Amino acid sequence: MQKEIEITGLNKSFGQGASAFHALSGIDLSIGSGEFFTLLGPSGCGKTTLLRIIAGFEEPSTGVLKINGKEVTGLGPSKRPINTVFQSYALFPHMSVADNIGFGLKMLGKPKSEIKSTVAEMLQLVRMEAMADRLPSEISGGQQQRVALARALAPRPRVLLLDEPLSALDLKLRKEMQSELKRLQAETGITFVFVTHDQEEALTMSDRIAVMSAGEILQLGPPQEIYNAPVNRFVADFIGDTNFLILRVKEIGNGEAVLELPGGRQASARLPESISPPVGSRVTAVIRPEQAEPTAAGQGEMQAVVEAATFFGTDTHLHLLLDDAQGFVLRRQNRPDQPSPAPGTRLGLSFAPGALRVLED
Amino acid sequence: MRGHGWKWLLCTPALIVLLLAASGPLLIVAVYSFLSPGNMGGVSWEFTLEAWFRVFFRRDIFEPDLVEWNTAHLQVFWRSIWLSLQTTFICAFLGFPTAWFIATRPRLTRTIWLFLITIPFWTNLLIRTFAIQEMIRNNGTINAVLMWTGLIDSPIQMMFTEFAVLLGMAYVFLPLMVLPLYAAMEKMDFSLVEAGYDLYASRLNVLWHVILPQVKPGFIAGSILVFIPAIGAYVTPRILGGGRTMMLGNLIALQFGQGRNWPLGAALALLMLVVVVGALIFYLRVVGRNDEVRRG
Ligand SMILES: Nc1ncnc2c1ncn2[C@@H]1O[C@H](COP(=O)(O)OP(=O)(O)O)[C@@H](O)[C@H]1O
Ligand SMILES: [Mg+2]
Repeated sequence: MQKEIEITGLNKSFGQGASAFHALSGIDLSIGSGEFFTLLGPSGCGKTTLLRIIAGFEEPSTGVLKINGKEVTGLGPSKRPINTVFQSYALFPHMSVADNIGFGLKMLGKPKSEIKSTVAEMLQLVRMEAMADRLPSEISGGQQQRVALARALAPRPRVLLLDEPLSALDLKLRKEMQSELKRLQAETGITFVFVTHDQEEALTMSDRIAVMSAGEILQLGPPQEIYNAPVNRFVADFIGDTNFLILRVKEIGNGEAVLELPGGRQASARLPESISPPVGSRVTAVIRPEQAEPTAAGQGEMQAVVEAATFFGTDTHLHLLLDDAQGFVLRRQNRPDQPSPAPGTRLGLSFAPGALRVLED
Repeated sequence: MRGHGWKWLLCTPALIVLLLAASGPLLIVAVYSFLSPGNMGGVSWEFTLEAWFRVFFRRDIFEPDLVEWNTAHLQVFWRSIWLSLQTTFICAFLGFPTAWFIATRPRLTRTIWLFLITIPFWTNLLIRTFAIQEMIRNNGTINAVLMWTGLIDSPIQMMFTEFAVLLGMAYVFLPLMVLPLYAAMEKMDFSLVEAGYDLYASRLNVLWHVILPQVKPGFIAGSILVFIPAIGAYVTPRILGGGRTMMLGNLIALQFGQGRNWPLGAALALLMLVVVVGALIFYLRVVGRNDEVRRG
């Protein structure tokens, strides 16, 4: 895959000396041409800062940023083949929708006829033909979002940066715009760098995700890998729901650890390469709520008592208490022929090999 | 809506002041402009259009039937309008970068700069104007320095010129432009500027297409705040302009003082009011129409 953006050894700090704040440290990243790449992390972890550095609004303190193979350090935003969809949309309030969309082309000095046809094309692409002459204040938030998108796409940038573009929309509109964005990206073939703090959004939309925390990239990979093989406790906690179990190591070998489960049985779990806990010590292990299954009491790897059941429509969350009093949540798909067990019921838990993983803390 | 009636009472004190201090005197001035001048100033209660006639025309002293335009009055009118327009432009030109500088400081420092901008208001206008005089008079600071450095041989005449009046007025009215401009810029969404750069605009294009349309209300408010008091300025043209660059305010004061022609002064004052209101309506019309065209 051809590399569109290459970032090596990038650091960014605000302020000087002792009071300097390190917003980004040691970022290494390469984004492929035509990729839908997502920066995911909690608020304040440096996502916007990284995006602003790529756009050219901020300069990195150290490190190299290449776009399409060329180093762009020192080039202003108007010199980079990159456009941004701002979190606040930043539509020009005194210009009509059409003028907003045509602004970039006009500044590039394109002929009037070309601007007109591209604007018409963009209006159609985001399905806003009827609103061309309205002012931004005269259209809804979702429509403003589309206009901001069309405005950024109109000059045909190599890369489109989107800073939490959907966070201001309500749930239904957000779902709609998610598939709209995927469609636009497929149709235009433009590289998307998408910022969100919503893990579900990241999982459903991205080709690859970089999970960030406190200015660092903790894990980088496709959504399945991030979900199924989180590298540490933070990633596991941030992406999806997870059961954390503190378990004792009985044996170590072959990149696996044999752990003692509540109730006395044993199971082997994958060990990350970065750690090698001594035998007898306690480690944190995880199982996703949907990767365990209820069985009859006395069977399976662990035994538990049902404390409560929460109904979620498609599935039910069973809140369990394991034998050693650790909590465990089990997600079970609802079926009319299988009523959820009443509180107080005893049941066994089984899980597939590979579901149990040891994590770096 | 119920219970809102009595709240109207809250503004009655202000209304009473307005009535006593503005509407009442205005009415008196309007009436005076149609009366004859008294011998020792004041008015004598005889109706005549003579004052209004003399605003525009002049009779020959020896042949009263020979009527010509009163060019002296018209010149003062024109000078007042022209100097006020120039003052407004100078203030806008100097005020914009000043306001921009303040608006782009960190929040805490902004307060300090704003405070500094208002400091001149703390000193009496008369004293400030005399200070300017001290700078620009023939043996004042500027000329002394220039002559000492040998750049000039004889002092440059700055006092009693239109330049002196412009300098004084621009100085006095500059804060009235900076403050509304600052208010407009402070409300501005600076991500619009970034969006401009992001969409390949040059600095000049960002200024023209993004920033100026955003701060336009500030310019409108600032222009009105500067132009109106400028056209009636009294102290500055009196001290720095002298008799040769008289402005409307001085002409009117002259009629109520040495001229002892109150009706003429009243007529001139009313005409000034008409000019100001007319200019204001014209200005807002023009500015407002641009907005409608954009919406097209
Ligand atoms: N211009 C700045 N000056 C000082 N600190 C900043 C500046 N911009 C961002 N920060 C700090 O950097 C951190 C990361 O911010 P940001 O990139 O906006 O996070 P995110 O977009 O992930 O929520 C925050 O703690 C923020 O306060
Ligand atoms: Mg952010």
